[in-house]
Amino acid sequence: MAAGDAESSLELSLTGSGALPGALPPARSRIFKIIVIGDSNVGKTCLTYRFCAGRFPQRTEATIGVDFRERAVTIDGEHIKIQLWDTAGQERFRKSMVQHYYRNVHAVVFVYDMTNIASFHSLPSWIEECKQHLLANDIPRILVGNKCDLRSAIQVPTDLAQKFADTHSMPLFETSAKNPNDNDHVEAIFMTLAHKLKSHKPLMLSQPPDHDEIHIKPEPKPITSCWC
Amino acid sequence: MWCEVVSLLRSLGSALVSYFDAKKKRKVAEIYQALNSDPIDVPKLRRMAISKGGLLTDEIRCKVWPKLLSVNTDNLPPLPAGKELRQDNKDYQQVLLDVRRSLRRFPPGMPDDQREGLQEELIDIILHVLKRNPQLHYYQGYHDIVVTFLLVVGDRLATALVEKLSVHHLRDFMYPTMDNTKQILNYLMLIIDQVNPEVHDFIAEVGTIFALSWLITWFGHVLSDFRHVVRLYDFFLACHPLMPIYFAAVIVLHRKQEVLDCECDMASVHHLLCQIPQDLPYESLISKAGEIFVQFPPSKLTKEAAQAERTAASTFKDFELASVQQRPDTVLRQRFRERMRGEERLRGEERTKSILTKPRTNRFVKLAVMGLTVALGAAALAMVKSALEWAPKFQLQIFP
Ligand SMILES: Nc1nc2c(ncn2[C@@H]2O[C@H](COP(=O)(O)OP(=O)(O)OP(=O)(O)O)[C@@H](O)[C@H]2O)c(=O)[nH]1
Ligand SMILES: [Mg+2]
Repeated sequence: MAAGDAESSLELSLTGSGALPGALPPARSRIFKIIVIGDSNVGKTCLTYRFCAGRFPQRTEATIGVDFRERAVTIDGEHIKIQLWDTAGQERFRKSMVQHYYRNVHAVVFVYDMTNIASFHSLPSWIEECKQHLLANDIPRILVGNKCDLRSAIQVPTDLAQKFADTHSMPLFETSAKNPNDNDHVEAIFMTLAHKLKSHKPLMLSQPPDHDEIHIKPEPKPITSCWC
Repeated sequence: MWCEVVSLLRSLGSALVSYFDAKKKRKVAEIYQALNSDPIDVPKLRRMAISKGGLLTDEIRCKVWPKLLSVNTDNLPPLPAGKELRQDNKDYQQVLLDVRRSLRRFPPGMPDDQREGLQEELIDIILHVLKRNPQLHYYQGYHDIVVTFLLVVGDRLATALVEKLSVHHLRDFMYPTMDNTKQILNYLMLIIDQVNPEVHDFIAEVGTIFALSWLITWFGHVLSDFRHVVRLYDFFLACHPLMPIYFAAVIVLHRKQEVLDCECDMASVHHLLCQIPQDLPYESLISKAGEIFVQFPPSKLTKEAAQAERTAASTFKDFELASVQQRPDTVLRQRFRERMRGEERLRGEERTKSILTKPRTNRFVKLAVMGLTVALGAAALAMVKSALEWAPKFQLQIFP
């Protein structure tokens, strides 16, 4: 929520992968509201910043309450705003504050720090909390292990994380907000989610069936190995 | 000809400068006078902290802040070794994470090793206060408040001030849950409703989360210019613990046009309001916050909203207690009530205007009267006593 600083400010209207230069914006683009949750210091602010500003922030500060970043993308010719709600990791905030953030959420991103097993062990309580707040059961959820650039410090083995993700029927992505080569990857993760949302009928009313044609490199598939 | 104009302007400029210099000098002299009088003239110090420019320099702040918090600076206990504090401390990890990421709170030109030293001190102060007060629970953002004290008064005094502040002003944020904090955020809505119902109805749709970091860091987290932060701290330290939420309301009201022009959804409003313009007219906003406080004190807000008295009860129980015994406060309310009646029921915009055009003269005096009731727990009794001692005399001055 800090002001006057690019790191914490909202990134408005950065054009996405497929924006048509000079094209008129539609009367009103759809908004996908995605909430990003997980323990303090796992890198939620960095990941959302990476997606919205296209780079790793020089420095971040503790998120107090909730921060909000946004990016406009074009998927199959449709302009869509992806709104990322970057929440505070400290437990006390979620207990009484977080209900607000869950309002009208379209998707959830759970983040853990691959170099911190405790952040992985907290996931069940995050998932539980999310269940309590979200009325709809079929909201798309994904699991992201961050900081895979710190190879020698990894504490959460991929197979363990994969097993966990399977149990909770979520796709798993291991990534790094920091590694410059991973820019595409963080991008791909959120774009995958956006695609999923676009074709997710129950939530997105009044949309004709669509065929996802966008191609993102590297191909965003739930993975079993790190792209670092 | 042109040269003459320029030189005229120049001398006018320097005359202005010396005018402000003289004014500032006079204020400094007044502050020292209050400090040196026996007993120390705390009410006057409060007025100085509230009035234009606040306490002016960090040197003065070192002397006056302890007085505003009734902290005895004579024999400050030595700080325990940091190592001990950090062992088996449940908060250490979170504090460490937050302090490490707090680089932006330190002056830009500061050498790294000096900053790192201060960060270590910051951790120790926080852990020390938490250890001595197990009822207090650390929250992310607490470090933004503590760093302000550390930078202004140094670690030893900062520890004493922060401890006092935490068990009084900040305690509502430091319960095991943030329920009380949430209720204080509701005050924001109550205040805005009183002043401008239209803005209230708009904000009611989007919630008050945008003000959370303002409130629990006393704006330390969101203002990048340290001078503005300390100016606000002068003000808040001299006033009722709920003043930060009044100030938050004033910021929203100040930007009401932008707010109303915004799309009425949580994201747009959140985005707009979280970007606090760095060039806010702080002095006039402080005056407005004070005026609104006088006109709609917390007790009145709660009554009007028929809210459970539990709201932030711990913080202003002392306040209520004190104000019952305090004539000036009652008199003030009466005055405003009469005034309001006289002016008929003004709504919204007009009502704001009526607040803002109240005579300036006595505002700081009134606020200082209110400030006296700041909840200071054990010290409250003494405070009230001293308030009663000077109040009758004082009252004559306010209401001739
Ligand atoms: N090496 C590495 N460090 C990272 C990466 N992502 C984040 N970090 C670092 O991890 C720390 C925490 O990042 P944040 O994004 O502030 O964490 P957060 O999850 O937002 O934390 P809270 O706001 O407290 O909930 C920072 O010091 C980052 O520089 C990454 O991919 N690789
Ligand atoms: Mg964060």
